[in-house]
Amino acid sequence: MSTTMLTLILLIVMLIAFILSSIKLKSPDISMVVAAVVLAIAGVIAVPELGSPIRYLVEGLFVNLDLAMLFIAASIFVNIYAYSGALSTVTRGIVSKVGNKWVLMSILGILMLLPGAITGAGSISIFVLGGLVDIVLTHLGVNQKKRTVFIFFFAILSAAAPPINLWTMLMCAQANMPYVGFTWLLLIPIIIAGAVCIVYVGWGAKPESKEAILAQLPEKTEGMTWWRILLPVVVIAALFVLAVYAPWNLPVLGLPLMFVISAIVALLCNPKKTTVKDYGEILDNTMEQVFPLVANVLSIGVLQSAMAATGVRGLLGSTFLGLPLILIYCLIVIVGPIMQGCFNYGVSVVLGGPLIFMFNTFGMDVTVICAALSLIFPMGDGLPPSRITGRLACEETKYKGSYTGFLKSALLPMLVLGVIAVIMIVTPATFDFLY
Amino acid sequence: MVFLQNLVQIIYYVMAGLIALSLVKSFFKRKKNDNWVYDIMYAYCIIPFLLRVLHIK
Repeated sequence: MSTTMLTLILLIVMLIAFILSSIKLKSPDISMVVAAVVLAIAGVIAVPELGSPIRYLVEGLFVNLDLAMLFIAASIFVNIYAYSGALSTVTRGIVSKVGNKWVLMSILGILMLLPGAITGAGSISIFVLGGLVDIVLTHLGVNQKKRTVFIFFFAILSAAAPPINLWTMLMCAQANMPYVGFTWLLLIPIIIAGAVCIVYVGWGAKPESKEAILAQLPEKTEGMTWWRILLPVVVIAALFVLAVYAPWNLPVLGLPLMFVISAIVALLCNPKKTTVKDYGEILDNTMEQVFPLVANVLSIGVLQSAMAATGVRGLLGSTFLGLPLILIYCLIVIVGPIMQGCFNYGVSVVLGGPLIFMFNTFGMDVTVICAALSLIFPMGDGLPPSRITGRLACEETKYKGSYTGFLKSALLPMLVLGVIAVIMIVTPATFDFLY
Repeated sequence: MVFLQNLVQIIYYVMAGLIALSLVKSFFKRKKNDNWVYDIMYAYCIIPFLLRVLHIK
């Protein structure tokens, strides 16, 4: 039996295990682990040289451990910050100062782009600003589904926005390209798609009167001053900026520690009388709140590790590259996000890197193509099995409707982003002037 | 700088330990998601944090 056929059988075995456990256990997270266990055992039976399957499964738990710690730390920061009453005070301030719906939505969009652009993770934008954006959009008369779309879409745009775009960085590292010249190539499509999203979400929404909105918002917390509101955010922003622009002058803190430091600052800035027991309760609630996400990223890591060890991951990438060029152009906007849903940033390695090499051999401008691919991949952050950003957006707005319905609502802005990216891939020379 | 970097590393071990403790607490006592599927999920999610604290991985 050929290696390809063997790997294909392993892929089918994995899919069957995933589908059956999804039906039986009704949890995509544990289903991914079941599929990974079945795949690892089947892989070792088929190729005994692979060694113990336990090794791949345990290694897989560490693939996204840093991401899990980041989610926990960011959630602790946001929950302490929200508990202090800072978020409600900021919301009151924005609503009372800005009257125009479109201006307000544009400000929210730009604000949401910043945390993800600096950290490279769209989920951070949701953690830091999702709650605030949700409250303001609610009072602007935007329905729950469209609020979720707004938060989700700007979160994925923030992950793709410069200066830190992890997909581009990973592809550049593989192709030995300098990470230079991407700023406008990424920013212009993001601005266009973001504007379309704002119009799409805000169209037809009837804002309540300013007085009515303010009446529904929580009262300003006693003793809450602007410096108490700004200090935790300034600290986290300063740490982000210093890590990017002064890496040699301070130790590598890492995002989780940055959020912990800011959480301590938020705790010190809290004007409410809060006991240690209260903080303990906040921490317990945060852990319960964030656990499904932690389980999700750890489970994805286990599945990724098993797929990499058995060759299933490589099979998916090489099969796509074997297609005729016209099919690659047509399918990249579908296959890219789907693979992002499966591998997260791993898609840059499995699919992005080989595609860059392929287009390079055709003599095409790979800087533009690399930027275009890194606009396509983030759209998969809302797709199963991982759907990290999509899930976070739904949790932030407490959206309980059909997940497919939410994805359908997000289709229009995603289509705009996808079409721009495909045009960039097909005619890269046209976009040379952007760098 | 080397001292600070080592300190950051130690802080991360402490963070992993605290998260592991919190997950163990939630494993036995939690307000929602108390079915057996979540028991299994809690069990395997504790593993990487424990291995990190114990310097095994």
